[in-house]
Amino acid sequence: MTTLVTRIVSRGLLAPAFMVAFAIMIKGYVDTGDGFAAGCIAALAVLLQYVAFGPDVVERTLPVRYAPGAVAMGLAISLVVTFWPVVIGRSILTHAPLPDQHAIHFGALELLTAMAFDVGVFLVVLGFSVSTIRLIAGLGQGRSSR
Amino acid sequence: MTVTGDPAIVLLIWVLLAPLLALGAGVVRPRWAARGGVVGAAVAFLLAIRTVGGPASEIRLPWAPSWGIEATLRFDGLASLYALLATGIGLAVLIYASAYMPIHLHHEHKPERDGVRFWVLMTSFMAAMVWLAAAQDLLVLFVAWDVTAVASYFLIGFDSEKPAARRAALMALFVTGVSAIGILIGAVMLRTIYGSLEIGVLAERVQPSAWTTVALALIAIGALAKSAQVPFHFWLPRAMAAPTPVSSYLHSAAMVAAGVYLLARVYPLLAAAPDVREALVVIGFLSMMVGGLLALGADEFKRLLAYSTIAQYGYVVVMLGLGGKYGIAGSALYVLAHALGKCGLFLTAGAATEATGEKALSKVGGLGASQPVLAVASGLCAATLAAFPLTIGFFKDEVFFEAAHHQGRLVTALAVLAAASTFGYIARFWTGIFLGAPKQGAHALPRRLVLPILALGAIAVVGGVKVGPFAAIASAAGQASSPGLKPLTLAYHLEASPANLMAVAAWGLGIAVFLAARHGRAALDAFAALGKRFGPEHGYIRVLGGANRLSDVIHDFEVHDLRSRMAALLLPAGVLVALAVLATPNENAWSVGVMSMADLPLVLAMIAAAIVGLAATIPRDHLLIGLLLSGVGYSLTIVYALTGAPDVALVAVLVETLFSLLFIGMLAAMPPRLLDRAAGAVSTDIRRRRDVGIGVISGILGFVVCWGALSRPAAVESAAEEQIAMVKAAHAKDVVTAILADFRGLDTMGEITVIGIALIGLLALLRRRPAR
Amino acid sequence: MTLFTSLIVAVLFGAGCFLLMKRDLLRVVAGTILVSNALNLFIISAGLSRGAVPILPFPDGELADPLVQAMVLTAIVITFGVAALLLSLVYRVYTSHLSLDLEDLAAAEEREAEDDDRPDPQADEDELWTTGEDER
Repeated sequence: MTTLVTRIVSRGLLAPAFMVAFAIMIKGYVDTGDGFAAGCIAALAVLLQYVAFGPDVVERTLPVRYAPGAVAMGLAISLVVTFWPVVIGRSILTHAPLPDQHAIHFGALELLTAMAFDVGVFLVVLGFSVSTIRLIAGLGQGRSSR
Repeated sequence: MTVTGDPAIVLLIWVLLAPLLALGAGVVRPRWAARGGVVGAAVAFLLAIRTVGGPASEIRLPWAPSWGIEATLRFDGLASLYALLATGIGLAVLIYASAYMPIHLHHEHKPERDGVRFWVLMTSFMAAMVWLAAAQDLLVLFVAWDVTAVASYFLIGFDSEKPAARRAALMALFVTGVSAIGILIGAVMLRTIYGSLEIGVLAERVQPSAWTTVALALIAIGALAKSAQVPFHFWLPRAMAAPTPVSSYLHSAAMVAAGVYLLARVYPLLAAAPDVREALVVIGFLSMMVGGLLALGADEFKRLLAYSTIAQYGYVVVMLGLGGKYGIAGSALYVLAHALGKCGLFLTAGAATEATGEKALSKVGGLGASQPVLAVASGLCAATLAAFPLTIGFFKDEVFFEAAHHQGRLVTALAVLAAASTFGYIARFWTGIFLGAPKQGAHALPRRLVLPILALGAIAVVGGVKVGPFAAIASAAGQASSPGLKPLTLAYHLEASPANLMAVAAWGLGIAVFLAARHGRAALDAFAALGKRFGPEHGYIRVLGGANRLSDVIHDFEVHDLRSRMAALLLPAGVLVALAVLATPNENAWSVGVMSMADLPLVLAMIAAAIVGLAATIPRDHLLIGLLLSGVGYSLTIVYALTGAPDVALVAVLVETLFSLLFIGMLAAMPPRLLDRAAGAVSTDIRRRRDVGIGVISGILGFVVCWGALSRPAAVESAAEEQIAMVKAAHAKDVVTAILADFRGLDTMGEITVIGIALIGLLALLRRRPAR
Repeated sequence: MTLFTSLIVAVLFGAGCFLLMKRDLLRVVAGTILVSNALNLFIISAGLSRGAVPILPFPDGELADPLVQAMVLTAIVITFGVAALLLSLVYRVYTSHLSLDLEDLAAAEEREAEDDDRPDPQADEDELWTTGEDER
């Protein structure tokens, strides 16, 4: 079992890790990082919880059982962003705003549909990783109880 | 989307909804599926009637506009005819089935829920037929064609617990599905030569040439296989393993009719391939003869009717091959009349089996006494097929004779002979069931098993008395195949015209054939046995058996052991790569490249990756392998970071961490003893040497390819520069992210789809606790 | 640099292929991962330019080729997904066969193949069609 320090540190790291992931995703268009990296960071944070507390506690305290749903939702978001332009008569994956239009600013941040696409990627990667972690943790548990 | 015209579009959409209607009703209550299906067919039939004679409304759906491919649908005369058949005969069959299927399910000891499938599939088949009928380009046509093949597979194999039904379904799918590939190939060839898939456009451009003939022959073969013409006829009698409503629908008005429909649809193109048309005449006559002889000898009701269908569609194929006014419009009339009569007889076969419990002519007789209404109804249908006056069937033979007697004595004689054999086997069927001394008891039949037959027979008689509207439908269909065709004008002429003389001769000969068949069973049986021994069905079974054995051999050789499979992949790939390297001009191709002191960290990181990678092949312990693997990954991360790829480095380091932890987690989930055993599994010396050899050779080949490729930078300008220039327009600053989310976003879309699919696999593999 | 990179790719690729031929399924998985790593390195070195990070504002001088970076990024994530799937397949093999040794698996399959009583399509044509025909 893990020590108290590990537990405190890992619990304390969870929220900041998600903050970092979120920032990396949002800033993806202007700086290093993107949805993939963000998803991995968030998944690693969840993995840390599994290592520190064990599957039972994590299962109770975090909404990990919705991970496959997150993948589905991520795919759906990206699909919509990809194919919506076709519906309104543009070619596939045309992002709004168009090159000559001005983006809506939110502070220093520009809001783009590409960002929504990245959110989809983020959800897919996060959901996939967390589902895998969860499944493997489940395997280990089945054995140790024997 | 260009849309003109009304009932046609409603019909096209409605038939797509009908299966859903049946399914929805069936989900609420299994018994309601029948009502859903019947309502679906009835509405579709009414809509189909409204398309008759209307303006040929056209629907265009752009599909791949940049390639000039669009789906074109139009309700011309031909489309209306086949849509009428598909929905009208479909309605009769479905009403019949609403009484038949519950009995059938009861006999087969199946729950009522099982019947829902039937209704959904039948209405789906109807939808595919309507779409097929309206198709004006080879693309829509092929798609609808394949939908009918798939639906027929499930319908013929409806009693899926019977091996014979499964085999028959597979056979039908094989014969019609494989030949459909010929249609696709033919369509692609035509598009390559003439630049269009639209039949109307092709008809203007098509020129006689060897390739055109091949393409049209391929399409014709697909059509002939679907219409069960010799030598593809063998699937049809086998398909009688299906429940009777399925047989009567698929093999009177729908599936088999699709074949001749296709021939009529591509008829304008056949002008460029006279050889194909001549072949049609020959195959048609052959089918008439083979089908006729087999029908005369058959004992089971449905089998007799199946053989007769082969022969009857032989008529249609001959008429299309001969062409002309009577050939083309006549074939349309023939299909119409035949569908009415043949469907009625199929339904009769089912009703007779239901009443007596028997399914062969030798076991029944004298049913006319106990089932007078059925006898009359079925008699009308039989009279139609046997071309009696006052039924529409008379005119179907009339046009056939008109088309034939201009073609010389041989064709005339064959035509009379074929008509005589038709008379013979139809007489055998009807008299065998309804006349003579009763051989068995019979119980009463539900009204819905008789009324549809009566309705079909009544329509046939109406057509015989007042042929005008029917001739108009057929003429319109003929004009769709061949614009400018004069309309058919049909009436009874009491004079010694050639057609009338041929008809009289056919009846006379027919009676003789009927009597001869009674006493000549031995010869007919011998013919059937000969066909079984040497016929195409034997060939089909041989081919299937050969394919199975081949698959076993390949399986034993390659798939059986994963390593042989790896070797089977790696070795030929290696040989091909080596050949490619040898074949590539090599002058000044190998560049060593420059290496400066500034590259030192990069070089060190790469060396580390290589050493750790080599080391990963050595240890016995799995945990160590896992750690060494992540060592390789981290070394490569440094490489990425040093080559100006921070995005990649970031993802690589994160993925590597995740993966290492998962690998270790997986190791922890398996018992150490097992892992130890797997790790200690020592290969023989020969194998080990072989493995090292393969590793070294792959390495060398990899080296040659990699060096060769890296030494030759692309001659053209880099796509990357273009993308770097576009970044501002994409409102982005990071080029890599812009590529991933925008310029090449479809790649990313594909990638996350792969991840989603991998997750489905993971869930399926790991979630369920395995039963031990 | 070209020659050197090629050598490194070759070593990783060769080591991966060697592992692919092993009897132990986990080593096979490790082999696939090594091969993927080799290919990623190959793709990134196929970039037409090396230089600064391609993020605005660009510094003077040459930029690193962003296209290969995007490709490698995609490849890395896919490799991760596939590797996870392979690992779970291995686990599934363990639960159903209690072995990770390919030779054991081949032997097990041979036993199953003997039990498989698929009828020979040529055995007796008539019998194939009549068996199971109902008696109604």
